[in-house]
Amino acid sequence: MDLRDSSPSSTPNRDGNAGDDDGVLSVTSALAKDAALYFQSRKFAECVDVLNQLNSKKENDPKVLHNIAIAEFFRDGCSDPKKLLEVLNNVKRSEELALASGEQVESGSNIGNNITSGSKGSGTTTSLPASICASIIYADEFDSSVASLNIAVIWFYLHEYAKALSVLEHVYQNIEPIDETTALHICLLLLDVLLACRDASKSADVLNYMEKAFGVGNVSQGENGNTASQQSLNVVGKSSSDPNSSLISDVSCSDLAASVNASESPLSRTLSEDPLDEMFSTLDIGGQNLARHTGLTSANDLPKITVDRSISGVDLKLKLQLYKVRLLLLTRNVKLAKREVKHAMNIARGRDSSMALFLKAQLEYARGNHRKAIKLLMASSNRTDAAMSSMFNNNLGCIYYQLGKYHTSAVFFSKALSNCSSLQKEKPLKLLTFSQDKSLLITYNCGLQYLACGKPLLAAHCFQKASLVFYKRPLMWLRLAECCLMAVEKGLVKGSWAPSDRSEVRVSVIGKGRWRRLLIENGTTRNRHVDSVERDVWALGDDGQPKLSLPLARQCLYNALHLLNCSELSNSKSILPSDSSLEENELSDGASSKNSNYKNLPSNDSKASTMPAALINLNGDLKEPKGGTNQEGIQTFISYYEDICRRENQMIKQALLANLAYVELELENPLKALSAARALLELPGCSRIYVFLGHVYLAEALCLLNKPKEAAEHLSIYLSGESNIELPFGLEDCEQWRVKKHIDCEEANVGAAAAKNSSPEGLEDFMFLKPDEARGTLYANLAAVSAIQGDLERAHHFVTQALSLVPDSSEATMTAIYVDLMLGKSQEAVSKLKHCSHVRFLPSNQQFNKSS
Amino acid sequence: MGKKMLNFEEQCKILNLLKSSSEQKSIEEMLTEFFTNPKLRHFNVCYSLSLLLQDKMMLSSTERLVAFAILHRSYSSQKSAANPFISFLVNAACDEGAENYERAFILHLLGFGNSNSSKEFLKQSASEYIKKFDPSSQTFPQKEQLQKQYLEKAHPEPYACLLKSTAVKNVLADPDVPPGCDANSAEFDLEPGAKSKLGSGDRDEALSGLIANLSLEGLIPHWIRPLPPRFPVDEELVWLNPDNNHELQWDQGMCADTSRGAAVRDLIAKALRGPLAPNQQEQVLVELANDPKLVYHCGLTPRKLPELVESNPLIAVDVLIKLINSPEIAEYFTVLVNMDMSLHSMEVVNRLTTAVELPKEFVRTYITNCISSCENIKDKYMQNRLVRLVCVFLQSLIRNRIIDVKDLFIEVQAFCIEFSRIREAAGLFRLLKTLE
Repeated sequence: MDLRDSSPSSTPNRDGNAGDDDGVLSVTSALAKDAALYFQSRKFAECVDVLNQLNSKKENDPKVLHNIAIAEFFRDGCSDPKKLLEVLNNVKRSEELALASGEQVESGSNIGNNITSGSKGSGTTTSLPASICASIIYADEFDSSVASLNIAVIWFYLHEYAKALSVLEHVYQNIEPIDETTALHICLLLLDVLLACRDASKSADVLNYMEKAFGVGNVSQGENGNTASQQSLNVVGKSSSDPNSSLISDVSCSDLAASVNASESPLSRTLSEDPLDEMFSTLDIGGQNLARHTGLTSANDLPKITVDRSISGVDLKLKLQLYKVRLLLLTRNVKLAKREVKHAMNIARGRDSSMALFLKAQLEYARGNHRKAIKLLMASSNRTDAAMSSMFNNNLGCIYYQLGKYHTSAVFFSKALSNCSSLQKEKPLKLLTFSQDKSLLITYNCGLQYLACGKPLLAAHCFQKASLVFYKRPLMWLRLAECCLMAVEKGLVKGSWAPSDRSEVRVSVIGKGRWRRLLIENGTTRNRHVDSVERDVWALGDDGQPKLSLPLARQCLYNALHLLNCSELSNSKSILPSDSSLEENELSDGASSKNSNYKNLPSNDSKASTMPAALINLNGDLKEPKGGTNQEGIQTFISYYEDICRRENQMIKQALLANLAYVELELENPLKALSAARALLELPGCSRIYVFLGHVYLAEALCLLNKPKEAAEHLSIYLSGESNIELPFGLEDCEQWRVKKHIDCEEANVGAAAAKNSSPEGLEDFMFLKPDEARGTLYANLAAVSAIQGDLERAHHFVTQALSLVPDSSEATMTAIYVDLMLGKSQEAVSKLKHCSHVRFLPSNQQFNKSS
Repeated sequence: MGKKMLNFEEQCKILNLLKSSSEQKSIEEMLTEFFTNPKLRHFNVCYSLSLLLQDKMMLSSTERLVAFAILHRSYSSQKSAANPFISFLVNAACDEGAENYERAFILHLLGFGNSNSSKEFLKQSASEYIKKFDPSSQTFPQKEQLQKQYLEKAHPEPYACLLKSTAVKNVLADPDVPPGCDANSAEFDLEPGAKSKLGSGDRDEALSGLIANLSLEGLIPHWIRPLPPRFPVDEELVWLNPDNNHELQWDQGMCADTSRGAAVRDLIAKALRGPLAPNQQEQVLVELANDPKLVYHCGLTPRKLPELVESNPLIAVDVLIKLINSPEIAEYFTVLVNMDMSLHSMEVVNRLTTAVELPKEFVRTYITNCISSCENIKDKYMQNRLVRLVCVFLQSLIRNRIIDVKDLFIEVQAFCIEFSRIREAAGLFRLLKTLE
C-alpha cells in the first residue's frame, strides 16, 4: 500500500477508484498498475524503477521482463532496437515454452471485483488509451501476442518487412482468442506490412476481416451489413437466452411451429403427441427461414466488440478507409480508388488529412494528372517537418520524372535525401524516426533518374545502396545490369571502347600516290570488352563499389531471373484450388511455406473467402459480370491485379533474357547466348520488340556456332516473298518506352499543354531502334548470313536494302564492302568506304606510334 | 583494335629479306639466313607475306620468288599437306595471270615432277632464276591434279568460326593518281632526287607501312547487334506516403488478475459432468455473449465436447457458434461427427445448421452416421424413437435447404423404405417424392 501511496500525483484519478479495491489488490498487481501508469505518462525512468521492484518479487516473469525491455528502450531514447529485439525474442520464447508445458499461472486472489475495477478504470482515466484498461486477462493465458506484436513493430520500423510478416502471420493465424486491443494493433500493423510487401490478396483478407471483426464497415456498404449482423446477434441472443422456455414449455413453441408450418402440420402434429420429440421439433422447424438467413450472416460476421478501443471509431474508420485506398492504388484500381479516397477525405474532415492528401496525390499521379498531383501535395500541411518534406520532395521528384524533366526531378530527389539526413540528426530519437528514414527508397528513385540521364556509374551506386531494401526485386537487378551495359556502351568501363570508337570504322592510310593502300583496322569484331575483367566479377573499384562490367551484368541478370522464377513458383503454389478442408490440410503438410499459411485452416479459409460488401460494391465498377457472389467478387478483384503482376513479370523476364542473350554475345559465349535467346522466344506472349531481338540474337549466336543456315532461317521469318522484309514491329509496340507525358494531354488538362510543349530535358527518352531501323538491321544481318554462306548475289541485294534504311550503320557498310571485295569490285568497296560517315582515316605514321 | 601481326624485329627481318632479294645471293643462302632466328613466328611471317603477295603490285618479281620460297620453307619439315599455306601456293601455281617463271618456281618448290633437282634451283639467286627460265621447259599441270596431290591429304580443318574464316584481306588498293592515269605505270614511282609530282609515291615507304600495320584479322561481314532497350519505368518509382504510427505495446497481462472468466471456467467444467441449473446456464450464456473472447478461454477442448453436448446441448451450440472462426473448429466438428448418435447431438447439429454454414462433408457424414445408427440399434423401442428423430431431422434439413437431396437421395430413400412402418419415415418418403 505504501508503494501505491508513493505513486505520482499525476495519477490521482486512479486513487479515487482504487480505493474500493484496496483490500483486494495484491502488492504485485498494485506495482504493475503503477508501472503502467508511469508508462502511459511517459515517465520511463520511474517506470523502470517500479518494474525492477516488481521483478525482484516475481523473478523471471516474462511479462515483467517484457515491459522492462520496452520501458528501458524508451528511457534510452529508442537507440538500440536490436537489443530490444533480442530481449523480446527471449520473452516470446519463454512464454511459448510455458504455454506448451501447460503450466497455469497462479490465479489472482479475487474474482468478480476485478472486472468492475477494470471497467471503472477505463471510465475514469480517459486520457489514457483504453488499451491499458480494456484488456482482459484470462486465466489460462500464456500469451506471447504482445511480445510478437512488438517484435513485428520493430522489424517494421527497420524496414524488415519479410521478418515482420513472418511474425505477424503466425499470430494472425490464431487471432481469434487474442484480446481486442492487441488484435487490432496486430491487424493494423499486418496491413501496413502486407501493403509494403505489395501483397494485395492478403491485404484484402485482413482488411475484410477487420471490417467484420471491429465493426467498422464502409458506410456505402451500408447499413445492410451492420444491421444484418445486429439482427442476427439478436436472433442468436434470443434463441440462446431463452433456452429454458423451449426446454420447459412446449406450448409456446408448438404454437410457433404450427403457425409457420401450417402446411406441413400433419408431421408436426403427429410429433407433438410425444412430448419428448416435441421438444426436438420445436427446435427449428418453426421460423427456420428467417433464422437461416440471419444466422448465416451472423456466423460470418464476427461478434461485435464491446470493449473500448485505443482508437476511436471514426479514427479507425478513417484508417481502414485509407488502407483500402492504398490497397486499391496498389492494385491499380484507379477508378475505385478515386471514389474511396473521396470518401476518406470526407471522413478526415477536421482531422489531420495529410495522409489522405498524399494518397489522393498518388492517385492523380497514377492517372497521369501530374499538375493536379502537384497541387494536392502542395496542399498537404506541415512541410516544415523533415519527414514530411522528404516525402513531399520525393513525390515531386517522381512527378517530374514522369514528365520527362529528369534534371528537375534530380533536384527534388536530392532535396528529399537531405531532408532525410537532417531527420537522422534529430534528438531524441523516436521509434518512428527509423521508418521515416526513407533514404534508401529515395536513393532507388535517384538511381532511376541517373539512368535516365545516362549516368550509369552514379545510377549503379544508388542501386547498390538501395539493394539493402530492394535486393529481392528482380527489377533492381535488371537496372543494375542496365547500368553495366550503359557504362560499357559509353566506354566508361576499363577496357571498353570509347563510344566514338565503337561505331567507327578505323582505316589506316598507308603509302602515298600510286602506292597508297587502305588498311581497315577493325575488320572483324568490335572487341568491346577486355576478357581480363572476366575473372574478378565482384572486384571492388577504388570507391569500394563493384566495378561495372559485362560479367557483373550477367551476374545481375541471373540473380533477377532466379528471383523471378522463385516468385513464379510460389505464386503457382498459392493459386492451387482450395475446395475442401481435407485437401487443404494435405496441402499444408507438404507446403509449409508462407503462402499456405492463410489456407491451412478451414476457418481461415472462411476469413479469406468472404468479402466485405464494400469491396464487392467496388467490384461492380469493374467490367466484370455482375451478380457474382462475394467470393467471386474478391477473386476477380484480386485476380485482376494478379494478372497485371503476371504480365509485368513476363515483361521483366523478356527484358532479362534479351539482355542476357546480348551480354553473352558480348562476352563471346554464343552457346549461352543461344539458350537465352531460345528461352526468350519460348516465352508466351512475348512482345514484338523482344521477339525481334530474340531472333536477331539467336541468329547471331547460330552464326557464331557455324550454323549460318539455321541463322538465316531465323531471320527469314520476317521475309515476305523472296527478298522483302517486313517491319518486325510497329510504332505501337514502342509505346511502352515513351515518356508518359502525353497522357496528360489526353486528360485534356489545360496545364498539361505546357508540359507537352516543353521539350523533355532527358537526353535519352527512347533508346531503341525505330521499326524501319529494325528492318534495316534484319536486312544487314541477312546480308551477312548470305555472304558467309557464299551467296554473294543475295548478300548484295540485302545489304543494298540495309544501307538504304540504315545508311549510317558502320556494320552494314562493312558488310557491303566485304561483299564488294568478294565480288571483286574493289573500286566500289573503296568508294563505299570513303562515303561512309563513320570512317576515320588515320595517317599511318601516327598509327605506327600509337600501336601497342 | 586489331592486333599487329609482326613485332619490330620481324618487320625488319622481312624488309631486309625483301631488299636483299635483288642481290646476287643464292635463294638458299637467304633462306638459311632468314631462319636463323629461332624466335621467328613462322605463321605470322608467312601470313604477312601471303597478304603482300596477294597485292600483285606491291612486291617485285624477285621479292615474290623469295617470299614464295619462305612460305614453302617455313613448313618444309612437315608433309606438304600440313602447310597452312599449301592451298595458297597451289592457287598461285595455277594462276594463269601470273608470270610463268613464278608458277614454275612454285612447282619446283613443291617438288612437282622431278624430285631430284628439287634443291638445285635454289642455289641460284632469284634474278638468275628468272633470267635463265625457259618457258618451253616447263609444263603446267591442271589445278585439279595439283590439288589432288597436295591438298587431299590435308587434315580435316580444325574448328574455326565461319564468320572469321570467311574473312577477306582487309587491305584495299587506293592509288592516288590523277584521273585517267594508269596507276600501274612506273611514271609515278618516286625517282630519287627528283621533284615529287602529283600521284607519285615511294613503294618502300608503303611496303614498310603495310608490314608494320598488317593484322591477322581480315575483313568479315559485320553483324548488327542492337543493344536491348532500357526497361520502361512504369510503376517503378517509389511514391512515399506518411506512415501509420505503430507504438510499442505495454503488456497488460503483467501480474494481472487472472480470475476473469474463472466463473465461466468453473461452470463449463461443471457442465461437462451434468446438466446445469437454468440460472447457471443463463450465466454462462450471458458471460459468453458479453465477452466474445471468453469462449477461447473457458477451458473447453475438442476432446471434452461430447460430454458438453450430452449434458448441455444448448451451451454446446452456443460455444460452437462462437468458435466458428477459431482455427480449432475443424477439430470440434470431427469430434462431433464421430460421437455416438443421440437426441442431443442431433439437436446440436440441427441448431448449428440453421445458425452457421457447416462444411458439406460434415453434414453428409453426419447423416450417414445417423442412418447407420438407426439400422444397428437392437432395442426396437429405441430404434423407433431414433428413426422418428432422424426423419424429423432430415425433413428439417431438406426444407431448410441445408442439404441437397440429390446427394443423399438413394441412401435416404433406402432408409425410408426400410422403416416405412414408421409414420415419419413415410412422411419423409413423400417429401422426397415431391422433390423428385
